[in-house]
Amino acid sequence: MKKWMLIVVALSIVLMFSACGKKAAKVEPVQEPVVEKVDEPVAQVEKPVLSEEELFQQKSLEELNKDQILKRINFDFDMYAIREDMKPIVQANANWLLKFPSVEVLIEGHCDEKGTIEYNIALGEKRAEAAKNYLVSLGLNAAKVKIISYGKSKPLVQGVDEASYFQNRRAEFIITKK
Amino acid sequence: MTMRRTLLFLAVLLLGWQLRGQEEITIRIKEGMPTIPVALPDFQTGGAAAQRNEVAGILHETLWKDLEFSRIFKMVPREHYSYISRLDPNAIRFKDWASIQANILISGQLELTADDRLVFSFKVYEVASERFIFGRNFGGKKDLARLIAHRAADEMLKHFGERPLFTSKIVYVSESGNDRDIYIMDYDGQRPTRITFSSAMDLLPSWSADNEKILYTSYRNLSPELFMFNIYSGKTELLSSGGSNYAADWSPVGDRIVYTSSKHGNADIFLKDMKTGQEKRLTFNPAIDTSPCWSPNGREIAFTSQRGGTPQIYIMDAEGSNVRRITLEGSYHDSPAWSPDGMRLAFVSRIENRFDIYVYNLKSNEISKLTENAGRNENPSWSPDGRHLVFSSNRSGRYQLYLVDYDGRNVRQLTSSGENKMPKWQKSLK
Repeated sequence: MKKWMLIVVALSIVLMFSACGKKAAKVEPVQEPVVEKVDEPVAQVEKPVLSEEELFQQKSLEELNKDQILKRINFDFDMYAIREDMKPIVQANANWLLKFPSVEVLIEGHCDEKGTIEYNIALGEKRAEAAKNYLVSLGLNAAKVKIISYGKSKPLVQGVDEASYFQNRRAEFIITKK
Repeated sequence: MTMRRTLLFLAVLLLGWQLRGQEEITIRIKEGMPTIPVALPDFQTGGAAAQRNEVAGILHETLWKDLEFSRIFKMVPREHYSYISRLDPNAIRFKDWASIQANILISGQLELTADDRLVFSFKVYEVASERFIFGRNFGGKKDLARLIAHRAADEMLKHFGERPLFTSKIVYVSESGNDRDIYIMDYDGQRPTRITFSSAMDLLPSWSADNEKILYTSYRNLSPELFMFNIYSGKTELLSSGGSNYAADWSPVGDRIVYTSSKHGNADIFLKDMKTGQEKRLTFNPAIDTSPCWSPNGREIAFTSQRGGTPQIYIMDAEGSNVRRITLEGSYHDSPAWSPDGMRLAFVSRIENRFDIYVYNLKSNEISKLTENAGRNENPSWSPDGRHLVFSSNRSGRYQLYLVDYDGRNVRQLTSSGENKMPKWQKSLK
């Protein structure tokens, strides 16, 4: 220990003298002002993407529904069977719902204006029921899923073309409880 | 029979296609009778007070339009009255009225009292025999002039052996903004009165057999439930529980209603005894069964079912048995409405995304089409006398209510503001 200390001290002295020797050789050095650099390390933390769980906790029911966390599905004309291309959407909805078992959902069945009022209430209900059954078949608790039919009384879009009708023939998944 | 029906239906379709683009197609049912020419000169008011003239004008115009609408009477044109001398109620020159082809002459008199009431007296004469037939005096508040004229017109119908019509009301759904509420108006579209004030949707109203209650569906408790509103007491009662409940119709015989409910998970038809509250399920089918409608004798129920794959009209006995299919062609039929004489069923058919109203004669199996090339036409409902129907149509843009005669003639628009749908005409008046 003491040996180490001695070596360090000795080396320091040698270095000091050598430096002094060089300094003495220079002529009138320019006195530069000493600028002390003041710095603070910048935190390199990026704003993290919130996890699904965090988003769920953060957002209100209205925001969750507005953001369409659960996506709507569309139906064929006069039909209430879930289309093949809509099944992945219901599956994604089911996966999300299974992650948050406290959530309660209301499935709204809607129709286009090409049906009569009375029949469309029944058809809309069949659509909501089909969506519910599919969710339940994917493991969801049936008690957490309610359905309602609005028939053709709440169209999503007002157009009179087939694309608009397709958009209006739908089931919407509304979160009613977190 | 079936073959004949098929041919008729095809003929109607073909005619429809051929005439597409033209204004109106009417297929006449041959059951008209010669109409009775009536002269209705201006009423005596005994003075020229402006107010009196205004009330007399309302009375005269309303009575005139009623009689003209009836299909029983034919109005002798006003211009013809100027060819003869002015009516003197105390010395009627019947020969004059005969000369302008009037068979019946109505002489009316109006008095306004100081307390804003009116007394309307009218006398009805047979011109040929120069004979007084009958007369009535009606008194009431001045602002009830229209109702008083309708009463007078109903007296005319009754006297000529017809059922009263003009004091009947139509219940319907009116929409302004996001609000859909139930209203009642006179048969001619006048005097609309709002009866529900819910912020949620109210739909599909219908009358009780005594015309005192209105059954309707409301989303006010979130799910569509059936409510009963008493128009005299103003009280509302919840009738259903669970599932969707709608399309109620009150039996003309006994206190029973039928309605659609999904309380067991699927749209089926239920019968409810309004005295005991007992319920009976009438359809047991995984398909959609809806839109039940009583026959006027209360023994049968027409309804819509999708059990054959597409919505078609069926009839069953009131106990739910003996189901038979009525519509055999086409892929979409709904909203059956049984005529008061029990002979005909009106319904809506969709062909190539159009809705039109058809009338099916249950005796002859003939089908006639009442609307053509004029938007979507929905929810037909018969007048108490079975000569007219009210329905909704979007032919002018937004849905409005229209009247049409049983043979497709005399289409008349009743409403024009907001959007108006789902009309139901009152049942037989006493």
